[in-house]
Amino acid sequence: MLKPNAKSSAARKRIENHTFEDEKGEEYEATFGDFSKYYRRKRIKLQNLDAELRSSSSENPRIFRGVIAHVNGYTQPSLNDLHRLIVTHGGAFLKYLDNKTTATHIIASNLTLKKRVEFRNYRVVKPAWVVESVRAGRLLPWDDFRVIGEGRNQKVLGFHNGKITSRTTDSQFGYKEQLSKLRDDGKASFPGHPPTPSNDLHGSESSAVRPGDLLASDIRGSSGGKRALVGAIGPFYGSSGPPLANPHSTAASGLNDRRQLDEVPSGEDTPPLIDSVSLESESELSIAESRLEGAPPDNLEIEDVGWELSEHNTPVARNSDEDSQSQHNESTKTLNPQSPKRAEGSHPPDSLTSERPMLTAEEHNAALLADPRIRNTSVLNPDFLRQYYSESRLHHLSNWKAELKSQLQQLTAAKSSSQKARHKCPPNSRRYIFHVDFDSFFAAVSLKNHPELKDKPVVVAHGSGPGSEIASCNYPARKFGVKNGMWMKQAQRMCPDLKVLPYDFQAYEEASHLFYSAILSIDGVVQGVSIDEALIDVSALCLDAGGVNGRAVCEDSTRREQAKADKVAEHLRNEIREKTGCEVSVGIGGNILLAKVALRKAKPAGQYQIKPEEVLDFIGNLTVQDLPGVAYSIGAKLEDIGVEFVKDIHSISRERLTSALGPKTGEKLWDYSRGIDRTEVGDTVVRKSVSADVNWGVRFENQKQAEDFICSLSGELHRRLDAQKVKGRRLTVKIMRRAADAPLDPPKHLGHGKCDVFNRSVVLGVATSAPDVLGREAISMLRSFGISPGELRGIGMQMTKLEPLEGPRDGRTESRQKILQFEVKGRPKEELEDPIVDDIESPQRKIAQRPHPAALTTMPKGSHSASEQKLLNTLGTQFIIPSQIDPSVVAELPEEIRSKIAGSGVILRESTPASPQLDQEALEALPPDIREEVLAFYRPRSPPPPSIPRDQTLTPPPLKGGNGNVLKSDPKKPRASAKKNTVGLSVPKRGKGEGNPTLTQSAFIRPGSSGGKDIAGSESDMDLRNFDDGEEDVDPEFLAALPDDIRRELLEESRRERLKRHALGLDTYSIPHRSMTPSPPPEERRIRLPPRPPKPTFTAQKLSTLPELKKAISAWHEEFRDEGPYEEDVEALNKYLRRVACEERDMAKAVTLVRWLGWIVDEAQGDGNDDHEKSSPAGKDAWKRALESIQQAIQSAVKDRGLGEVAELAPRRKNRSSEEKSGEECDGARTRLLELVQRQRWVETREK
Amino acid sequence: MAVNTYRDLVGVFADFLSVAIHTILYERDIYPRSSFRSIRRYGFPVRFNRHPGVCDWISDTVRAIQTELLRFYFCIPLISHLNAQLSRYDRLKKNSVERVAVVIYSKASRPLERVVFDLSGFPTIPPSDANTPFEEEDSDVTSLADIMEQLRGAMRKLAFCGSSLTPLPADCTFNVSMELKAGIERPQVDHTSLPWVPVRQSLQPAAASASGAGRASGRDQGTVNRPRAKRKSKVGGDLGGARTTPIRTVESGAFMLEVWVEESEAKVNGLSVASSG
Repeated sequence: MLKPNAKSSAARKRIENHTFEDEKGEEYEATFGDFSKYYRRKRIKLQNLDAELRSSSSENPRIFRGVIAHVNGYTQPSLNDLHRLIVTHGGAFLKYLDNKTTATHIIASNLTLKKRVEFRNYRVVKPAWVVESVRAGRLLPWDDFRVIGEGRNQKVLGFHNGKITSRTTDSQFGYKEQLSKLRDDGKASFPGHPPTPSNDLHGSESSAVRPGDLLASDIRGSSGGKRALVGAIGPFYGSSGPPLANPHSTAASGLNDRRQLDEVPSGEDTPPLIDSVSLESESELSIAESRLEGAPPDNLEIEDVGWELSEHNTPVARNSDEDSQSQHNESTKTLNPQSPKRAEGSHPPDSLTSERPMLTAEEHNAALLADPRIRNTSVLNPDFLRQYYSESRLHHLSNWKAELKSQLQQLTAAKSSSQKARHKCPPNSRRYIFHVDFDSFFAAVSLKNHPELKDKPVVVAHGSGPGSEIASCNYPARKFGVKNGMWMKQAQRMCPDLKVLPYDFQAYEEASHLFYSAILSIDGVVQGVSIDEALIDVSALCLDAGGVNGRAVCEDSTRREQAKADKVAEHLRNEIREKTGCEVSVGIGGNILLAKVALRKAKPAGQYQIKPEEVLDFIGNLTVQDLPGVAYSIGAKLEDIGVEFVKDIHSISRERLTSALGPKTGEKLWDYSRGIDRTEVGDTVVRKSVSADVNWGVRFENQKQAEDFICSLSGELHRRLDAQKVKGRRLTVKIMRRAADAPLDPPKHLGHGKCDVFNRSVVLGVATSAPDVLGREAISMLRSFGISPGELRGIGMQMTKLEPLEGPRDGRTESRQKILQFEVKGRPKEELEDPIVDDIESPQRKIAQRPHPAALTTMPKGSHSASEQKLLNTLGTQFIIPSQIDPSVVAELPEEIRSKIAGSGVILRESTPASPQLDQEALEALPPDIREEVLAFYRPRSPPPPSIPRDQTLTPPPLKGGNGNVLKSDPKKPRASAKKNTVGLSVPKRGKGEGNPTLTQSAFIRPGSSGGKDIAGSESDMDLRNFDDGEEDVDPEFLAALPDDIRRELLEESRRERLKRHALGLDTYSIPHRSMTPSPPPEERRIRLPPRPPKPTFTAQKLSTLPELKKAISAWHEEFRDEGPYEEDVEALNKYLRRVACEERDMAKAVTLVRWLGWIVDEAQGDGNDDHEKSSPAGKDAWKRALESIQQAIQSAVKDRGLGEVAELAPRRKNRSSEEKSGEECDGARTRLLELVQRQRWVETREK
Repeated sequence: MAVNTYRDLVGVFADFLSVAIHTILYERDIYPRSSFRSIRRYGFPVRFNRHPGVCDWISDTVRAIQTELLRFYFCIPLISHLNAQLSRYDRLKKNSVERVAVVIYSKASRPLERVVFDLSGFPTIPPSDANTPFEEEDSDVTSLADIMEQLRGAMRKLAFCGSSLTPLPADCTFNVSMELKAGIERPQVDHTSLPWVPVRQSLQPAAASASGAGRASGRDQGTVNRPRAKRKSKVGGDLGGARTTPIRTVESGAFMLEVWVEESEAKVNGLSVASSG
């Protein structure tokens, strides 16, 4: 356990040998001026104290012997208590940490960031380690209490009972964490009682030795990681059962072993074993010994039994283990004195130890590679890589696929750029997405040449040997349970008369081209997913058929649209069948997700459409792993929070989901579970990584070979990077090492077998693709793993953080200077994972890691063309729609026609005399009230429903549920910056599309403010530029035409109205009801305290904690920075603060809040000069006034409590006139005061 | 461990009070700073006076307050022979103390500052239940460590408030007083058994003296506000003070304590006059 270095062992010896007789030592001489001498002596004195304390508490087990502890920072229990606990239990304590190596353990509950770095290589443990160790009566492994090195929620591998377990550390920081542990403690840290904790805590345990524990812990201690041993002991405990708690019965139950024990040298012979175990078990032994001193004599025997048992059982364990495992079993080492060392930490046993009885891995490899044929196929062949990549089937497939895909992409891109413009569907309309997929593509195509096998189970694989992998199987074969990616051996077991067909790449390619040509002939946006799979957006086609614009709900037209979709799909299937002779299936849905899900139902050889009304049912009944992008890892996480079916997600809040899965995935799943998928067909993903992996044939005899191989692999990586015209900045090396329990020869010839995978990455200063640089870095990383070359089974190199390559292609001339990139990164989307990885163990993994196109949320592309706005008759009626329509006429029309009219871009409102037609001068000439009336008339009566875009190019209605993507031209800009930069950013951009450059748009009320978190939206300026024509109230053109002052007035007014409509959260101030909670029946009589009156809360969200309130106040100020707060809000805050001061009786909180507000307001005043030159002085004044009123409210509240005014609410006002206070009232009739007689005594004392 | 009996609460408070008194003495310069040593309480360095007399006095005081907090008052109806008061019996709850205040007097015995520890949030329980554990309402019971953390915060603010308060004149003295709840009979002042004497008029709540024997005329909660008498030295004149500095509210489960500092008018005005003149 402890591997003390020289310094700490020296220190330990010194401290252990430290004795204290009396105060005659040199250290008690007087020192003057010599600080270092003083300090040295002080330390000796401190050790003297400790020595005394230690000797006075000899009854405690000396569990901390050899530990030199130092406490850093605030801990709970306190420094003193820890000190005492450690010293009284045989440890040493360092008050001053002169150098870190002196201490063996540093105790801290939390470290500053700097110290985290500084102490990273030291044992930093939590105080609980001490407390728990004392309670357990033995030194617990410090690993479980480590402070450093555990990220929050990071999974940690544990080594438990011979199994590698993974657990999550959910450590909270801060003292709360310690509270839970201390809650049941004894009086270890009760300050009212001077610390006598150790005795308290221990008295009971040391007097009543529990042999059961003893046995268990000792055995565990001595055997450490000997997994077999613990397993074997287990049953024994099981049989003797609970009586173990009682020493006598244990002795009895131990008797049957006595017989055998007698043969074994007992008692005295154990020391060698003890000597061999590590320090940790030694200290445990010492506990055992010290405990036994006070225990009844038969305990001693039990102790022996324990040791004997452990020894005796070992061979048994080994044998059984050997039976169950192959010959490379490590438990042969159970008796190896070195083995306890292996238990340390959780890393798998060192390879070296397991090699001894056998050949080492290197020797084994050498023997294996002695066969020249094998040698040639392994990596030692210099031509290996070339061969490997030319022969690797998967490599071929993936390369070919990538090629095909980029071709297709170009094709579709060329087509869809025009398509998109033409078929740009109005946002929020119904969509019809096809997901077209071949049914068992390879098998089906290969079967074309063997029509006689059509109904037989057929698979495609590269051979019929048991070691070949099934690439594709047809449906008859699937009935037998055969799956893609299965071993032939297994498949043949399931289905003995399985027919195996070879690959026919030529045919596949042909079929694929035919497939795509059929798809491209359809009028829609196409996105190729893979060679046999594509997504098509046929919305435009279907909507045309439906007749309406796709938004209006009209049963008839919806049905027509759906029928059309079905028809198109049918047609497509027929066409492909004709062309290729193979069946395809089509899934139809409202988005990519639904299409994919529908495809599952459609297969084989069918089509299925998910209708909007059945979306939730359909999706809800899937298991979560059926969703694209979800496989076992996310699935397992979801299972942890109780989700198995998609519908289970419905009952989970979005927050919970995001906290369990991370913000992106959580959000995505939440949407998916409701059938929402925002991905658009045709979105492409930029390639993020390039890698080269080899995990077949990797066998090395020495390090040199491994490093040579890495060099050639980095050459390959370089070639690939070049082919993609990129270079990268981060290099990741993936090493597969033979798993400890895997045989030296894996089932697949020269395959990798069962492996542990290690990754390490390095960020290079400059993006590069130079093979020598990559090779050098990779080799140094490989060395840092410290894995013996014989154990290597796979090596991969991956480049991420890619940058496009500039200039010469050789990658050697990286320039540090940034160059503006005009080239669009239009890399074809590729799978992140290199498909070369021959990952046979977990075929699912690919699915899990592949970023599903649907998973990548992107914004709708904003491409508009002017053609849209021409009033062509594109809408499928034979009538030309007039540009100005009388609304009353429209109202009479049937729904379909109406929506068509709306969709055609005709502005209904303009049917009233268009505002620009107003005579400006005439308007000006009017008296204000009449002008007002006129303006009011031109104002629409209510905001139009969001589904009718008044002007399509201007305001796409914000997507429901967030992504307030208002600035269309820049979809990724977050809302906040959009607002701030309205002036600079969006004016020119908008100006392009519209001939109205002065107007910009921004959403006035935040689109996603459903939670009411924003106190309100505000507009930052009166200036028209900042104003927003997204606000449907006022016609922008009209506004533009008005003279400045009138315009301002108008805007001001409309905004006020708007604000009123969106009521603030503030006025919904509420008093929560007193809730009576039913109490559980107490077994012990307890007092039921009358419930505290509930704390007053602020706003509808019932804020009551200080940080929440501060945040709310800041937000409030931010929103109304320029115009000042509303009086109601100020009033509400006043009322709340008054209640805090009077009812909650927390003046400090109220005062803190006021100061906070004051500070914010002050800040705003300060920075008004530079940043917000436009912010109005009126706003500042209003805030100042509000602040004053709030301050006064507090003062009066405090006064009501009979107290004087609060100091330092604001800058101190010393000479506040005292006449104000003459009205001050005192709190009558409540209390009486008593004073101490002792006062007299005290005066005397003082005078002494 | 949890603090879940009334006695525990009182213990925690008493402990805090003694630390606080020492701190106040240090921060307000009642005694020379050199007479204090630094020790660690609540994980926070605090100053304790070294003078054994002072220490004794403080510990005696705290003990007396603790006794008072745990005092049974059901003897009162017997003493006053008022059987009619039996109906009040159940109102005679255990904790009679509403507030404890550390009062700092000037040389001329004018109260200048009061550090008030408001205990009105402590639970009111029947006398026999001092050692009965509270029912735990939720999992987040009054845990000692939680209280300790909050007390630590309070202690820190108390220690730092010394810098924000205006300095005191030289030669101040101090005392500790406690305010009883309305309706509680004053303990029979018997100098041999009880260390308490009534405080000066100006620190008595107004109504108390008006109603003689202390059977409060006003009900507990109904605050009777009446204009303060012109002469400040009269009843209640020095209560409340002219300026308040909130320290902190400690609240965890059944433990509820609010602490603030009052500066009396005498101090504020006196000082401002002094500084202007």
